[in-house]
Amino acid sequence: MNFTSPFSLTLYTIVALSLLGVPIGHAMIAGSVLYLYAKGMDMGTAAEQLLNGTYSSFLLLAIPLFILAATIMTTGSILDRLLRFCNALVGRFPGGLAQVNVLQSVVFASMSGSALADAAGSGKIMQGMMTREGKYTPGFAAALSAVSAVIGPILPPSIPLVLYALVSGTSIGHLFMGGVLPGLLLGAVQMGLIYFLAKRRGFPVEPRVPLRDMPRITGEAFPALMLPVILLGCLYSGITTPTEAAGVAAAYALLLSAGLYRSMGWADLYGALLSSARMSISIGMLIAGALVFNYVIVSENIPATLSVMLKGLDLSPLAFLLLVNVLLLVLGAFLEGSTIILIILPVLLPTAVALGIDPVHFGVVTVLNIMIGLVTPPYGLLLFMMTKVANVSLGVLVRETLPFLAVMLGALALVTVWPSLVLALPRLAGYTG
Amino acid sequence: MLARVTHALHRFAEAVAALLLAVIFIAFMVQVVMRYVFNSPVGWTTEVSLTAWLWLVLWGAAFVLKDDEEIRIDFFADHGGRRWRRAVGALGAVSVILLFALSLPASWAYVSFMKVEKSAYLGIRLDWLYSIYLVFAVAVIARCLRQLICGPAPLAANPSAPLSAT
Repeated sequence: MNFTSPFSLTLYTIVALSLLGVPIGHAMIAGSVLYLYAKGMDMGTAAEQLLNGTYSSFLLLAIPLFILAATIMTTGSILDRLLRFCNALVGRFPGGLAQVNVLQSVVFASMSGSALADAAGSGKIMQGMMTREGKYTPGFAAALSAVSAVIGPILPPSIPLVLYALVSGTSIGHLFMGGVLPGLLLGAVQMGLIYFLAKRRGFPVEPRVPLRDMPRITGEAFPALMLPVILLGCLYSGITTPTEAAGVAAAYALLLSAGLYRSMGWADLYGALLSSARMSISIGMLIAGALVFNYVIVSENIPATLSVMLKGLDLSPLAFLLLVNVLLLVLGAFLEGSTIILIILPVLLPTAVALGIDPVHFGVVTVLNIMIGLVTPPYGLLLFMMTKVANVSLGVLVRETLPFLAVMLGALALVTVWPSLVLALPRLAGYTG
Repeated sequence: MLARVTHALHRFAEAVAALLLAVIFIAFMVQVVMRYVFNSPVGWTTEVSLTAWLWLVLWGAAFVLKDDEEIRIDFFADHGGRRWRRAVGALGAVSVILLFALSLPASWAYVSFMKVEKSAYLGIRLDWLYSIYLVFAVAVIARCLRQLICGPAPLAANPSAPLSAT
């Protein structure tokens, strides 16, 4: 690689600008302009790529709609109803509230597509509940809210998987199906670890919810619990496109919140629209920048060059996947997840496909890995966020996170070496990969 | 007085963003209802929602999001004293101004060239539709200039809802 070529200069510029705190989307546009200038190409290409890419990508419309659905689900009384339901179900087990925290993450994961949104919403509330009356240490509660939020984007819907579908051309429906079992596995290993820790550290048990109250509590939460069923039903049966399914999810959430539960007024609706718009804008801008920068990557023929180089190493598919896992965990310590999906994965994917790795399996494994990166020190966005939300030091938080990190990496290894864990459900739905 | 005007303008920009998202949502509902209930699919809804999405992203990046709401790396730039942040911010701002300004004439040429095309269903000229990119590019330059002159904006006290999508 030539270190003074226009492409190298572009890379330096993007990295330097990002480190200087320029938004990554802007940095990618600026760096790509420099590339076009240095190559003597038309600098209007940057605008062309951004505009045509954003304007033609029907798939991406799923992102604002999923964000809107999740925002509506967390405003109003839906959140309370779901938490009461989770508590009735698993509160009685050792480490009751901790188990509730994981279960509610699984439930919310099937309504929202973003780990950070989950941690900021229901994760924050659970952290508060767990530390009230000194039941759990703030550090443990915060760590648990952070690690359980990781489940969010593995279970459908998932914004990272939509981004992967965009760069890989794989079907969102099949990717979403593929995330179901790994997401549940992640919840299971976390709950297992809590069970073990609860015995050793003497975590409290919540008062048993009498059986006769169960129908009422379930009934109150039932309409909200139907959202994931409707969503998966739409995807599984293929009656609607995934983007339309996102629209249906948002409409259903609105119907519940404003109509059935009457817990949302016009001001709440405006607030939900505005905060969803903000989140959509920031991710949309990142995608816009990536569209421009990907043009540069493709002009330089980077993916094909890398593919030839890596094939020369004669790796087995499994060795390649393990190598990718290590690479992503390291990158995840410095880069934000969606950036990795939009920039790094398209470069690696051709090699994976050439080695005979299934693109849906590859997508779920890499997204799982990148999400685990959100709680991997030193640079884990979820960790940073929870230190601010829960007001605990990063050191304490990291120490409490480590056992969970270990079992999650175990789950990642299992998903990596055993493709059927990902592919079984998509195959049932007609995937022929 | 100036502060009140900018505040009002910002509220207006926010309202436009919320409205654009509502348009995406409503267009989708119309599409789903027309296709599955009335069994007569319509094409214009797709075009409306894609247009609203394009404008939402670029309008929002230009006028709605504050600098620290964008997806960015803060561990290097935001840690350190005021003078450090000012110096680091200035270096980034100057580079962005130069590169965005450098590409502005070519972007203008591309957008105005698109007057030859019209959108498929609604027949809107694409130079109008794409003009939001020029608004965005100029706004990015203007915001960087403001940062150069006034220094970086104070950090939010508790950014508990980070605007990242992962």
